[in-house]
Amino acid sequence: MPIEIANAKPAVSLESNPDDPAYLKIRDLIYGISGIYHSAEKLYLLISRCARRMSVLGAASAAEYLEHLTTRGNRATELRLLLNEITIGETYMFRHPAQLDAMRNVILPQILQLKDAIGLKRLRFWCAGCSTGEEPHTLAMFLLEEREKLLAGWTWDILASDLNDNSLQIARDGIYGEYALRNTSAPLRRKYFKDVGDKKLQANDLLKAQMRFDRINLSDDSKMVFQKGLDVIFCCNVLIYFDLASKRRVVHHFHANLLPGGYLFLGHAESLFQVDDSFRLIHFPGTTAYLKPTAAQGGGKK
Amino acid sequence: MNAQLHSQLQTQIRKLDSISTAPAILKPLLDMLHLPSDDIRVEKVVELVSYDGAIAAQCLRLANSPLFGRGKTETVRSAVMALGLERVRSMLLGLCINRVIPQDKWVIEPDAFWRHSLGCALVTQRMAQKIEYPEPETAYLAGLLHDLGFLVNSVLYTQEFRECLRRASEEHAPLHVIEEQVLGFSHCETGQMLCEHWGLSKSLANAAGCHHDVNLLPTAGPLACLVHLSDLLCRMRYLGYGYEEIMGVDLGGDAAWQALIGTYPALEKMDLVRFTLDIDGAMDQIVATVDSVFGAKRIAAPATT
Repeated sequence: MPIEIANAKPAVSLESNPDDPAYLKIRDLIYGISGIYHSAEKLYLLISRCARRMSVLGAASAAEYLEHLTTRGNRATELRLLLNEITIGETYMFRHPAQLDAMRNVILPQILQLKDAIGLKRLRFWCAGCSTGEEPHTLAMFLLEEREKLLAGWTWDILASDLNDNSLQIARDGIYGEYALRNTSAPLRRKYFKDVGDKKLQANDLLKAQMRFDRINLSDDSKMVFQKGLDVIFCCNVLIYFDLASKRRVVHHFHANLLPGGYLFLGHAESLFQVDDSFRLIHFPGTTAYLKPTAAQGGGKK
Repeated sequence: MNAQLHSQLQTQIRKLDSISTAPAILKPLLDMLHLPSDDIRVEKVVELVSYDGAIAAQCLRLANSPLFGRGKTETVRSAVMALGLERVRSMLLGLCINRVIPQDKWVIEPDAFWRHSLGCALVTQRMAQKIEYPEPETAYLAGLLHDLGFLVNSVLYTQEFRECLRRASEEHAPLHVIEEQVLGFSHCETGQMLCEHWGLSKSLANAAGCHHDVNLLPTAGPLACLVHLSDLLCRMRYLGYGYEEIMGVDLGGDAAWQALIGTYPALEKMDLVRFTLDIDGAMDQIVATVDSVFGAKRIAAPATT
């Protein structure tokens, strides 16, 4: 599954009229279905994604394309194809430093304190819908870098799952090119990767040992109920593929999977508004996450 | 704050008038700030802008900047029309205040101060619109003026306030908390006093005075609550005081949010993730405006009129 919202400026020149109100309807439709929201300033991204699908379909206007998405027989397929366009694009490691800062500065210190109090010195992380593995590799490096500082005396495991076998195999192999490593500093490359030629690096044994990969279907209730005792779940731009009822079910599972005081990270444009109100939205500098509050943090709604 | 400190501060704030030379347009401008924007006459604004050559030049420069994508604007009147009354009003206030504070007295970087103030103004206004608060214009002003106390502290307590900022940056802590520790009061109290001294409305003064006080907020009225929430949101979107604060903010669980929701149930319908994305988009515009108007190094320091 692609896990990042494509963020590049459109390379194609647009014949479509950006002021066409039909685009706002498409925007609201995508928001309603996937939870991905394009603000006025980011509408051009949506328009360029629509433009690609419109040229494939031969749709002459945004209004006609809206019909493809809402009233025509192919609407379910077309919505999925548009979502694929919206979330297309490879991702790379250390793409969201604000998430890691929030982990280092606020989230982990909070969780360590809670677990220290009950004498637990182990942390559990889950990258649900990890695609080709950039996210768990980032998390693993981040934790290893903290092992003599914040995490001295702690152990952890990272479960990384996806539905797509091909993606999982790439993640297990841990071989990445320049694009995936563009934000990974030279010292980290030296420490956690080995050169495998052809301008590619492969995760070394230390890095690989941090992660356990598994094929998990998030809609499979029987598997979901067994994920227990998690501290932080990352599930970025995965739930956009689910309808509201399934999304609710998955988020409900996540809530049960997390320990009180645990956090859920979603993609930066994803919202649980009107999906689930058992989590609390927390703003950190430059990012947001959902907290499963402990009783002391005012569990439930305030 | 005890009564003695309060009266000491009031005396100090009165001294501000003699320390700094306020531009002649500040008083009529402050009077104008009270009017709903529909009641503001373009001619009156054009007159105020034209009164001060340096301000008129700034106005023309901004109207001609790529931000507004207009053709050549050569008269003050067309510049005011191009920018819109609201933006001109904020800009005038900003330029006036920039002159009230002597250049060597700024403690917080002027760019950071204006980005935060304008950001907060915009967020307060948009939040007010979302919850159907009847006076979004006043909300904008409340956001714009909520941190005036920083200016008072910069001028009257320069050394101590500089120490507050240093410690707050070092500890990544909220500035008002450190102000309380170092000064015994914060920019909230001095901001409220300056608002009162300038004759601004009680609700604006109150918003400046209560925007960090979670104990006062539940009874401080909707403006103070809106400003409090907007201030937090701005600080979490890199529009703070120029340093990174380490904290997580639960806006939905905040006392101000809870206080507002009783009177403005529309708040329940606000998707905060979506609102944040909208704000992020608008911030780029704010940063560009601040850079072109208030950019500290680019502001000529003309002799006051």
